[in-house]
Amino acid sequence: MYIEADDAKLLLAEVGRFARERIGSAVARPETPVDVFVLDALTREARELGILPQEGAGGGFGLWEGTDDAGGMALSLGILAHVGYANAGIAVAWHRSALARWLSAALGAPFDAEDLHATTLVPTGHFGLARTAAARWIKSADQSDEEVALLADWLDRTAHTTTVIAPSPWSTLFWPVWRDGLIAWQRADRSQLTVTRLDAQHGLDELAAFAVRAGAGASGTATPDAGASRAIFGQVLALDMIGLLAIATGAVTRGHEMARDFAALRTQGGVVIARHPAVQQMLSEIEIARRQAEAALDGFAKPIGDIDIGTVAAARAGTHPLLCHAANQVVQIHGGIGYMRDAGAEKIVRDVNMLKLMTGGTREAHAFVAGWTGTFA
Amino acid sequence: MTASHLSGHLPADHALSPAWQFKRFPAIGRMLADYPARDLWDTDFARLPAPLARQRLRAREFAERYLVPAAAELDLAPHAAAGTCHPLARSILAEAGRQGWLSYFLPRPLGSMAWRTLPYAPIWQSTLIVEEFSRACGGLMLLLSAHHLGVMPLVLGGDLGTILRFVAPVYRACERGDPHLVAFAITEPGAGSDAEDGHGASLYHPGVIATPTKGGYLLNGRKCYISGGDLAKTATVFAALQGEGMDSWTCFYVDCTAPGFRVARTELKMGMRASGAADLEFTDMFVPTDRIIGGLRNGWALNRATLNASRIPVASMAVGFARAATETAVEFARRYLLGGKALIHYQDVQLHLATMVAETRAMRSLVWQEARHAWRPRQLDASLCKFHATDRAQHVCEMAMDLLADHGVQHEQRVEKIFRDVRLTRIFEGTNQINRLSMMEDWQGQLLAPDRPVGV
Ligand SMILES: Cc1cc2nc3c(=O)[nH]c(=O)nc-3n(C[C@H](O)[C@H](O)[C@H](O)COP(=O)(O)OP(=O)(O)OC[C@H]3O[C@@H](n4cnc5c(N)ncnc54)[C@H](O)[C@@H]3O)c2cc1C
Repeated sequence: MYIEADDAKLLLAEVGRFARERIGSAVARPETPVDVFVLDALTREARELGILPQEGAGGGFGLWEGTDDAGGMALSLGILAHVGYANAGIAVAWHRSALARWLSAALGAPFDAEDLHATTLVPTGHFGLARTAAARWIKSADQSDEEVALLADWLDRTAHTTTVIAPSPWSTLFWPVWRDGLIAWQRADRSQLTVTRLDAQHGLDELAAFAVRAGAGASGTATPDAGASRAIFGQVLALDMIGLLAIATGAVTRGHEMARDFAALRTQGGVVIARHPAVQQMLSEIEIARRQAEAALDGFAKPIGDIDIGTVAAARAGTHPLLCHAANQVVQIHGGIGYMRDAGAEKIVRDVNMLKLMTGGTREAHAFVAGWTGTFA
Repeated sequence: MTASHLSGHLPADHALSPAWQFKRFPAIGRMLADYPARDLWDTDFARLPAPLARQRLRAREFAERYLVPAAAELDLAPHAAAGTCHPLARSILAEAGRQGWLSYFLPRPLGSMAWRTLPYAPIWQSTLIVEEFSRACGGLMLLLSAHHLGVMPLVLGGDLGTILRFVAPVYRACERGDPHLVAFAITEPGAGSDAEDGHGASLYHPGVIATPTKGGYLLNGRKCYISGGDLAKTATVFAALQGEGMDSWTCFYVDCTAPGFRVARTELKMGMRASGAADLEFTDMFVPTDRIIGGLRNGWALNRATLNASRIPVASMAVGFARAATETAVEFARRYLLGGKALIHYQDVQLHLATMVAETRAMRSLVWQEARHAWRPRQLDASLCKFHATDRAQHVCEMAMDLLADHGVQHEQRVEKIFRDVRLTRIFEGTNQINRLSMMEDWQGQLLAPDRPVGV
């Protein structure tokens, strides 16, 4: 189903209202993360509104449902930015569930939307982005033994633990595994996995962190043929990276508004601080980061088949650190109050940091880009 | 099995590895070229005068024995109500007091400073200790260090009588294991930067007011974000005189058990959670005249001198955090296997770590360079150290998180806590914007001198 740009705009205005009013009121106290019951209730509401995929075979305009069409992609990115504006943790939960659903449909085994909120996904191996190897594998079958060994290790779910960030009651996990030179997808029940709940994580307080390892008998693996395996893996990775960038952009947009409001009210040095060049400079840095992120996201509002994963990784590596810097400047503009959990600014820093570190982080994105562009012998 | 060399490098005994061959140089060449490849901490240790080196080692031992094991628990503990102290923090405070970590700004018998360290600037000593404590736990470091900030106006503004009367009993109680913490209170809801910057202060209408009364003054108003203010027994509180401006600022040494004093709340902080940041409320709180420190209307200068003394130690917090982040990242890279190889063998990881180490050691060089001469710390130097080291330290912490990637988000891996702790150092003791301005303020004499080139 295709959606025209104007219709997408109208729908996004609704999403924006829902995010600000419904999610916004539920998360009004940044120091007290929403519990799983509230998250569950919001998820149901979002599904009823069609923000998330609805029950049945799909074909709606929910998150990651219209990826073959520019309008649908713009809609998904807009949804994530709006929800990320209100709360990055909730946005990540929905993004990963909807992406799991997208993946299962691509694998030809769609699951019922009932399972949506209990299903999550990790698109990468146990650490980073497999240096240059994953990018080169997506691109071609021409792999050295060393690269193959690296990919096999990267996706070895029994030898290594993987960090999973998800709503605490998740019951199903999709993750890529290595099978005979191809990337297959395992849909594992939590009961099949060795799951250790970690003490705490840096941000996204609404979610929990887990160290997960596959048990010996973990089953439920779908192995597409070679071409599909490469395409699907590349697309999941691209959608995940773009999604995280959209959520971070939303979160920083919120921070920007908070910083502007604060700077217009707080007086120091005899004037409102917005009049100090030091503060103006920080506000500009936030603005610049946002614009760069928004421009990157605009560029990804096209059918998923036309999106270049190298461009996505490059945009992420270039833009996400700027968003982290911008979030830090939100705190800095607030001064001491910015450091306090009940004020909200510091949470944006932690959330945006988390988004940068998930899916392999941005440091290895450089190697990934090198692998993709083949700028080595 | 331990590898004999890192991937991409030659083993130490290879024909093209120079180090072993330096040992075979002729005597003069050996003297000039052959070096021991020591641990980096040990290298700096060896460069310190022996009494300071001993102090640094003691601080490290204390931090590793008492602070490291408590760091995670105190960071994750539920927010404590104002005035309560986690039993673990309380026992650490008591032990720190007994070991002299709460009384080291004065020599024995007044304080715990060893006589052999007397020839060295106390700020230098303090930077060594603060770095070690920060490396172990930012929150506990602040709990132990904000106290010295509170004491500083007493040392800088008082005569020997003040020191004997006020500082010595504080130090004695601490050394007995009955910690008497002192807080430093300048910030008000209406004045954060304005309490740190002269230009801002000149335009600010003071919020905490001292009204003369028989035998002393009545304090009214509110101070905010006061580190350790929730546990302090006494505090150096800066207030303006009734009907006057900030140029009447006066330092009052207040007894926090006296009527009219209240800890209104403690903040929910992003990091450094083992230390409370308190809102202090004064309602007709009587302070006798003999608890005015440094004389009436001398508070502003006393405040600025205190900040000059404390900003270099704040810069050393940054060194401690950058070091902790770097050491954690190095350990991770040595331990974590990808593709059957420890991360440390990958060239990009080596480049990343090399930058982190260089940044950390550059910070330490800057801090030690200034601290070594900080008998009378200059505002320009202190502010420059503070803003530069803390900005760079945050960057190093981010690099550590980037290196750990997906694993960097886990509390168990420590780097995310170090990031939350270091974040504060760019805000308190004057934001880094204010510290840049403070540096320029102090430099203006040279900058505006006609016909004189400016040296940097
Ligand atoms: C955890 C914590 C512990 C603390 N401990 C203590 C303590 O023990 N004792 C104590 O007295 N205080 C303490 N403080 C207070 C701290 O020093 C102040 O928070 C800090 O000076 C900033 O002041 P502010 O929070 O009011 O921010 P503001 O002054 O409101 O600053 C807001 C923004 O405006 C900018 N700005 C303000 N004025 C100017 C100007 N003139 N020119 C250019 N830019 C400007 C700032 O750089 C900042 O970006 C603590 C603070 C925190 C967060």
